[in-house]
Amino acid sequence: MIVFKGFLILVKRNLEIGFLYLAIFMTICIMVQLMTKGEGMNQFQEESLKIAVIDRDGGRLSESIKEYLGEKHQLVNLEDDKTVIQENLFYRNIFYVVTIPEDFEQKYLKEGERLKTTKVPGTFSAYYIDQQIDAFLNEVRILKSGGFSTEEAIKEAMRIGKLDTEVTMIDKNGHGGQMAPHAYLFQFLPYLFLAVLCYIIGFVMIAYRKEDVRRRILCSSVSLRTQNAGLVAGYVVVGVVFWFICMLLPMILYRKEFLQDHNLPYYLLNSFVMVLVALSISFIVGVLVEKETIVSAATNVISLGMCFVCGVFVSMSMLSEGVRKAAHFLPVYWYETVNEIVGNNVQFTAAQSAAVWGGIGIQMIFAVFFLSVGLVASKYKARE
Amino acid sequence: MSMVTITNLVKRYGSLVALDHLNLEIEEGEIYGLLGPNGSGKTTAINCMLAILKYDKGSIRIMDKEMKPDCYEVKRNIGVVMQNVAVFEQMSVWENIDYFCGLYIRDKKRRQELVEEAIQFVGLEDFRKMRPKKLSGGLLRRLNIACGIAHKPKLIIMDEPTVAVDPQSRNKILEGILELNRQGTTIIYTSHYMEEVEQICTRIAIMDHGQVLATGTKEELKSMIKTGETITIEAVALSEEQLAQMGELPHVFQVTYEEQVLKLRLSGAKHNLVRILHYLEEKDIAFGRVFSELPTLNDVFLEITGKELRD
Repeated sequence: MIVFKGFLILVKRNLEIGFLYLAIFMTICIMVQLMTKGEGMNQFQEESLKIAVIDRDGGRLSESIKEYLGEKHQLVNLEDDKTVIQENLFYRNIFYVVTIPEDFEQKYLKEGERLKTTKVPGTFSAYYIDQQIDAFLNEVRILKSGGFSTEEAIKEAMRIGKLDTEVTMIDKNGHGGQMAPHAYLFQFLPYLFLAVLCYIIGFVMIAYRKEDVRRRILCSSVSLRTQNAGLVAGYVVVGVVFWFICMLLPMILYRKEFLQDHNLPYYLLNSFVMVLVALSISFIVGVLVEKETIVSAATNVISLGMCFVCGVFVSMSMLSEGVRKAAHFLPVYWYETVNEIVGNNVQFTAAQSAAVWGGIGIQMIFAVFFLSVGLVASKYKARE
Repeated sequence: MSMVTITNLVKRYGSLVALDHLNLEIEEGEIYGLLGPNGSGKTTAINCMLAILKYDKGSIRIMDKEMKPDCYEVKRNIGVVMQNVAVFEQMSVWENIDYFCGLYIRDKKRRQELVEEAIQFVGLEDFRKMRPKKLSGGLLRRLNIACGIAHKPKLIIMDEPTVAVDPQSRNKILEGILELNRQGTTIIYTSHYMEEVEQICTRIAIMDHGQVLATGTKEELKSMIKTGETITIEAVALSEEQLAQMGELPHVFQVTYEEQVLKLRLSGAKHNLVRILHYLEEKDIAFGRVFSELPTLNDVFLEITGKELRD
């Protein structure tokens, strides 16, 4: 009992950081909710950017590119001066500049010459314009090789470019084809679990594992079994209480919507298993890290690293194939896989159901694996 | 009644023999000093006694029971004061003492009384709510002691509890140890400070290389050696002939002269100093300050091992 009590006192002393993480997390969630007003995506609209076209050719094709882009974006007139262009890009007056060189029409149609473009670094939408230009020019070339004259090909490509596409969002969960809003919160939870538990438990374990303190406890009349039972009880209580507090977040933010979600038990189970995984990882941190100063660094590396690779901060669909394959070896990936299925569907197909239970099972295996590694490391360290 | 009996204890770390057939017999009510230089095996012996270190051969009996890691009944009556301060940094003084006392005493009410007594005993009344980080070195040592003795054990093992402690705190700690002993507690006290051991221990074992070289009361130990008195004289430019003549004087068995300091070791006899001073006057040798010292435990150690205790 005294070991358990001591564990809780030490946890209490390290709670500030837990509350800090919770507060930051909650603030971000509320901000996201206010920005989206709690609605899912129900419409699709093409993005329009401020761009400039520097036309050094002045031919029919370059004119048509200008016209084509002008219909989709806001054209800004710029001098053909490198300094002026760079300045406007720097101040974000424009996001994209396409320069059409002299004799482009001939060179493109004969040799397939590419256009020179300049974009604001890191702007996603700018790459979208690349695709639009490529699509338009390809259309012209294909039509030309199909027997159309240049004028006819340009006219036809312009006509095709103006066609609107009907976009229908498949709504499988009543949220306009998007994940349920609380599923987004659950998507981010592994970071909170890993960061807070690794930090708090790491500090507590370091305090307990200090050689002299450990020796003093070993000299006492409390059996090793009782000591370990006290520590395990401390772990369980901290994990359960923290999980419960985290579950209050969606209840507060999304109330009925969350509580009436058909998949509520899955959310609860998946997140609870993730807490077990986070506890087992925190145990390893507590065993292997010996200095308080390293706990924060280790916690950040583990929580941020795992969350970036496994689709917590960036959707898994945005990650490269290689990263996704590597993420299979991390428990958060399986949590996110389950969360994605649970968040996007009301009723599961047999395959989805298997994926959900499989994902939860794999997380459990990870938890047991990490715990075993921690125990082996602990035993090895004790022998040292 | 014997409190601790160690028989032929051997502990090896690879090829290094830390304890070499160590034998100790500690009686109830004693303050038993283990004196020896760093690396002599004191801490190893204590770790073996506490069953936190496995030994290769021999036996340890505490309170008439063979000491093993699961001897919780015996452990309940042992208090430990570690060489390094072993407390939780994030707990207050009160919480630390309560925690370590709680490892022995389950009853909360009784524990509160004991914690309070321990706090008063070590004089930490004004620092109850303070964290260890904010305590000075001396106060930290007192907290370390309070954590080890709060449960009122019959046997307290103190492993160099006064290392790096200011003289004021050291005196307070030593007084506390004597008081604990007066209350009936048996104490095993290890140190490499011979003055402390001389001051408080009723019996002393001198250790080196994992062996007990000599054991007894301080008087018994001093009587074992040849030195009865050491006379130190500041004298300028003594010749080899004069040093040889002084070596011939009655009871003088060793003469050393370094950096104009003459040191004479003499066997116990009356009028040694008078005789030496008379010789110096007779030879018209100029001399400065003169010291006469009775043998210390360092002399005992020096004579037994041929080296200084503080080497």
